[in-house]
Amino acid sequence: MIKTLLFICAFLAATAGLTFANAKVGETAPNFTLPDTNGKTRSLADFKGKFVVLEWYQPDCPFVGKHYRSGNMQSLQKEYTAKGVVWLSIDSSAPGEQGNYPAEQLNKIASRDSAARTALLLDPAGDVGRLYGAKTTPDMYIIDPKGTLVYEGAIDDKRSTDLADVKTATNYVKVALDAVMNGKAVPAPATRPYGCSVKYASN
Amino acid sequence: MLPLCAGLPETGNQKRFEPICAKLLEDDKGSFALNRLTTGGYRFEGKEIVMRELLFRTVQYAGLLVSLAVLCQESAEAQLYNGKELVKPSLVADVDAIQPGQKFRVGVLYRIEPGWHIYWKYSGDSGIPTKIQWQFPEGFKVQDLQWPLPQREKEPGDLEVFDYVSEVLLFADIEAPAKLPAEPISIQAKTDWLVCQNLCVPGHAQLSLNLSGGANAASGSVQIFQKYASLVPKELPAQMKIGFSRVGNDLEISVGGAPAGAPLDFFPVPPSDAVISHVVRDGNKLTVPIETEVKPIKQMDGVLVVGSGESRAGYEVNDHSIIAAVQPEGPTGPAGFRGILQALGFAMIGGLILNVMPCVLPVISLKIFGFVSEAGGRPERAFRLSMAFSLGIISCFALLAVIVVLLKAAGAQVGWGFQFQDYRFIVFIACLIFAFALNLFGVYELSVSAQATQGLAALASGHGYGGAFFQGVFATILATPCTAPFLGTASAFAFAQPGWVTFMIFLFIGLGMALPYLLLAINPKWLRHLPKPGDWMLRLKQVLGFLLIATLLWLAWILGQMRGADAIVRLGAILLIIAILAWIKGSFWTPVSSLRSRILAVVSMLCVLLLAAGAYGFVTRPSQLVWQQFSQATLDKALASGRPVFVDFTADWCITCKTNERFAIDTPKVRQEFSKRNVIALKADWTTGDPEITEILKKHGRAGVPMYLVYPSGSKEAQPVLLPELITSQTVLDALNKT
Repeated sequence: MIKTLLFICAFLAATAGLTFANAKVGETAPNFTLPDTNGKTRSLADFKGKFVVLEWYQPDCPFVGKHYRSGNMQSLQKEYTAKGVVWLSIDSSAPGEQGNYPAEQLNKIASRDSAARTALLLDPAGDVGRLYGAKTTPDMYIIDPKGTLVYEGAIDDKRSTDLADVKTATNYVKVALDAVMNGKAVPAPATRPYGCSVKYASN
Repeated sequence: MLPLCAGLPETGNQKRFEPICAKLLEDDKGSFALNRLTTGGYRFEGKEIVMRELLFRTVQYAGLLVSLAVLCQESAEAQLYNGKELVKPSLVADVDAIQPGQKFRVGVLYRIEPGWHIYWKYSGDSGIPTKIQWQFPEGFKVQDLQWPLPQREKEPGDLEVFDYVSEVLLFADIEAPAKLPAEPISIQAKTDWLVCQNLCVPGHAQLSLNLSGGANAASGSVQIFQKYASLVPKELPAQMKIGFSRVGNDLEISVGGAPAGAPLDFFPVPPSDAVISHVVRDGNKLTVPIETEVKPIKQMDGVLVVGSGESRAGYEVNDHSIIAAVQPEGPTGPAGFRGILQALGFAMIGGLILNVMPCVLPVISLKIFGFVSEAGGRPERAFRLSMAFSLGIISCFALLAVIVVLLKAAGAQVGWGFQFQDYRFIVFIACLIFAFALNLFGVYELSVSAQATQGLAALASGHGYGGAFFQGVFATILATPCTAPFLGTASAFAFAQPGWVTFMIFLFIGLGMALPYLLLAINPKWLRHLPKPGDWMLRLKQVLGFLLIATLLWLAWILGQMRGADAIVRLGAILLIIAILAWIKGSFWTPVSSLRSRILAVVSMLCVLLLAAGAYGFVTRPSQLVWQQFSQATLDKALASGRPVFVDFTADWCITCKTNERFAIDTPKVRQEFSKRNVIALKADWTTGDPEITEILKKHGRAGVPMYLVYPSGSKEAQPVLLPELITSQTVLDALNKT
């Protein structure tokens, strides 16, 4: 009887202390450490005090292509890194899957695209992708200087691969960044991301 | 065919090249299908194949092509994937010729390369829905696109999508106008899709089809239309019911009347501004976890899927089908006018019955004698006094009605649906009824607080009409220990009714209860017809208790229909707890109990609740580890992958196994370590005594479960570490470290 009671107490304590893995808007964004394409180790904790954008990325996805070929993503990167925002693109493609390239190749693609991100991080094991519950490329996350996740979801509201849609779309990331950087609440703090699936390893 | 010409996407060059391409297409053996002007739009990195194709064509169409090839390069690379046309769309109709006003069907038939898929109207975690934009001549009525039932597929990383493989027809019902346009009647469809395998390629096509006017002639595509029309979700059959309820972030769906044993599934079509997680399937219970919503989601469109494999059937879930399901089975839903009259009649009878409760009946004659003597021989004054007394009774009930209506409104504000379609409401009523039945059986007594009694007694001590009114109030409240079981039950049922019906029902209960006073005040001589108080009242109370238990059975049956047999057992468990609590109250917390006894009562009640909550969590908490089902083959494969492997030999009936899983294996520490080391977790379920598992248990010298094997190094020759039967998280971690 006493043993059962102890078990139940332990259980209650355990459930109370449990936190779920998936990042949630309004909660602290989980920390992670990944190497970037230049061999430097980057940790989310290093950027405390700054706004951080996480962009799930893999170059061969047509949805990613839409935002890079139209120049949309680069201009966002340029605009906000100039304002002190840290922009981390994360490639969670598993080895052998689409979008998994050696670092040099990714650097080449980055210079071809004139990408203006802070760093491109390599997550071939998919751990950070799973930690954040990243589903698609692109899938966007914004973290405020306190380390709280303030936005997660789609880059914009036109769910297509059509380059022309970029001009007429409402860019959720821009709207969210402009709001939080001016001390306002994000109007739509979570949206449904769209794109190719993140190419996690199949077991 | 002619990858070169088709597609011309995104460059704005399309218009310029269309004439040239049309010419080329005609030249190309003249065999191209009329209904395909342009197709495709694939992008990919490797261009070799297309370049080869280009070279070949260049030779073929020398002069014309030299310039075209240069200008067309972007469109050409956007055509094929590794030389394959991944999706071949064609525009088809079920008729060749149409007559004015005729109904027919037009659709796009997608033939999909093996291994690839295109998406349903809700694509799931990734992908985008296939899109069709119709263009008909004026006057044609085009209905919504019909989507055959897709399949639910998992992609790596626990991503879930709804898709079509190999072939699908998306079609719409069309109605021709009374006056047909000039022939040929040209129908256009612009379609966009995303086709994915491990990778995704977007495509689009502009299709056209010509129909002639004339006698109705079925086309060669009729069979295809029949095939796919039969796969489109149907209307929910009358005997099936679907209900939604919100529990925190979960939208719970209950399905009633589904064929026994058939697995149920729900393919959701969430609003575009909402983010949802995967539907959790558990018997007759389906749950859609809502991650983000802009407007509160109380129900969701989608498709209810019954059965699996070849025999599965899809049923459309929309506003219409949900409303259809709300139709009551018994006196449950909002009632019609006749139903309401009936309910009011019963309410009055119920109120009348309240008068024979042990605490009420003895009062009646006292009161009547009181009025008669106060009236001093003036019958009309006696009648007015009893009117005032009755009014006091009725106002009590009116107040109760107002409280119920307000509670209901407040509940609706916070998203509680007081409906019989909501299983939680049924559970709530069942608990209430059971508690009252226990009261009627005498397990415990209800009592009115002493202060309230004194205050009211002071008010009621006055004479005249005011005094009589408050005596009515006083009598009603004093009677609550006897009447509460019925009033409580009535209130619970009244929750499911519109506010004014609730109000009327309570007024009539009050009227019923006041009726004897009104009648007897008219003629006090009738008092002798009143039954004498006695033991029979107690017996009657107990008999009424059995009636409540019968009602409980009916509720349990409804709950079982909605949530399956498990739900009835769970309800039984809750009722058991209520019984224990009621027994504690009746035994240790009575008006004569000492303070010590009362404290003991409260402490033991809390203990019971704590134990119950713990047991509930223990039974229902889902595993957060990702388990694969064990078989020797999976184990061999897992070992071959070089990753560490953990095998849990368990069974549903094995308490030690479940305890270990909860407190030693499925803990944050172990989960973290598992994900860090990329451990493959296998679950060998011995619940039904699988012989393959029995064999392995024997091999390791065990007669039964639990048994835990850890292969730390992950190599095939490695000997597994055999863990003891009772383990802690540390045991598991240590075993993993033994490399």
